[in-house]
Amino acid sequence: MSAFMWNILLAFVWAVTTELFTPTNFVIGFIIGYIVLWFAPSVEGRRAYFLKSWRLVTFLFFFIKELVIANVRMAYYTISPLNRMKPGVIGIPLEDLTDSELVVLSNLITLTPGTLSVFLSQDRKTLYVHFMRVDDPDKLRSEIKGSFERRLLELTR
Amino acid sequence: MTADLTMPVVLLDAIIGMLAFGIAMSAIRLYLGPSLADRVVALDLIATLSVGMIAIYSVKTSMPVLLLVAIVLALIMFLGTIAFALYIQKGAPP
Amino acid sequence: MKDILAGSFFILGGLFSLLAGLGILRMPDSFTRMQAATKAGTLGVGCLILGVAIYFADLGDSTRALLVIGFLFLTAPVAAYIIARAAYHIGVPLWSGTVIDELKDSPDRGIGEDDQIMRGAGGAGAQKASASDHTTPNPEPATGDEPRTPDHDPDDPTDR
Repeated sequence: MSAFMWNILLAFVWAVTTELFTPTNFVIGFIIGYIVLWFAPSVEGRRAYFLKSWRLVTFLFFFIKELVIANVRMAYYTISPLNRMKPGVIGIPLEDLTDSELVVLSNLITLTPGTLSVFLSQDRKTLYVHFMRVDDPDKLRSEIKGSFERRLLELTR
Repeated sequence: MTADLTMPVVLLDAIIGMLAFGIAMSAIRLYLGPSLADRVVALDLIATLSVGMIAIYSVKTSMPVLLLVAIVLALIMFLGTIAFALYIQKGAPP
Repeated sequence: MKDILAGSFFILGGLFSLLAGLGILRMPDSFTRMQAATKAGTLGVGCLILGVAIYFADLGDSTRALLVIGFLFLTAPVAAYIIARAAYHIGVPLWSGTVIDELKDSPDRGIGEDDQIMRGAGGAGAQKASASDHTTPNPEPATGDEPRTPDHDPDDPTDR
């Protein structure tokens, strides 16, 4: 992560030289430093840094999108007749995840569309998730695995 | 701490009204709730909405210091909920 | 401009808080209530505090506001998970319209004796709790929840 340190340093230098220590200016300096690093081939770990940061940004946007969809859908369930719901608990098989990955994954699941993580089996291989609407369990399973888990693993590994 | 309020007070009052409505609903659930878990969820929601209430109030009175109260409440709320959850899981101590 | 942005976040947050309140009162069982309360409550208050951060537009105050958002988004789902797990563990009944419950038949559902939280507490209480661990959840329907037949229309717009 030394490329990241370089980026922070460049942002700091930018803030010092423009003599303006506001967060906005620091962010501008960070972006300019990012562009400068793009043209600096000698910094070690540069390629990994760009890849990770790109994935982080797309992950954040994905998360915000899912969060908004989740709440619109939840609003729909709240004001529509109750028989629109078909709740159910489904087990989702997991890869070998570390503790922090598990926390992030279950938090994401809880905050996104009609899902709430309920129980993690003791061998940490299955996460049981409560869904607001279950039509096809296998489809939901592959959806969670394909979007959340895949993106998270891309980010952390 | 007397910066001018540049937001229409009616809007802020309306938001406070909405939050109060939400808190009232969860208070009813706190009273009704068939199981202990429902009551804990209701308490959790009341605390969460109170954080929002404090934040809006800090805008209304132009006192940003109140945000510190919101931070503390957000943390304490979590501890309270965890303690309740453990209590649900284990039952009353002998 | 800044005020318009902050104001629209306030309105959005207020509406979501309202929906959270409605949801927690209206939903039929504990788990659906948790869904409504956690999602709508967290995003509602998150929106409100984002609006406050935009409104103050000051380094210290905005950082504090963003810190509140960080705490909320980190702690609220964890709290919901722990309550949901505890609720399932003591056998809080699911709504009668629930179509599938894979956890009920799964071999690994009880919170075992080597569970981290139980071990931390220890004592006679832990012994007593672990003895009653592997009882099946209460199959009777909830007292306050009248059974409904889950008829659903195939052209529901939110259906995936």
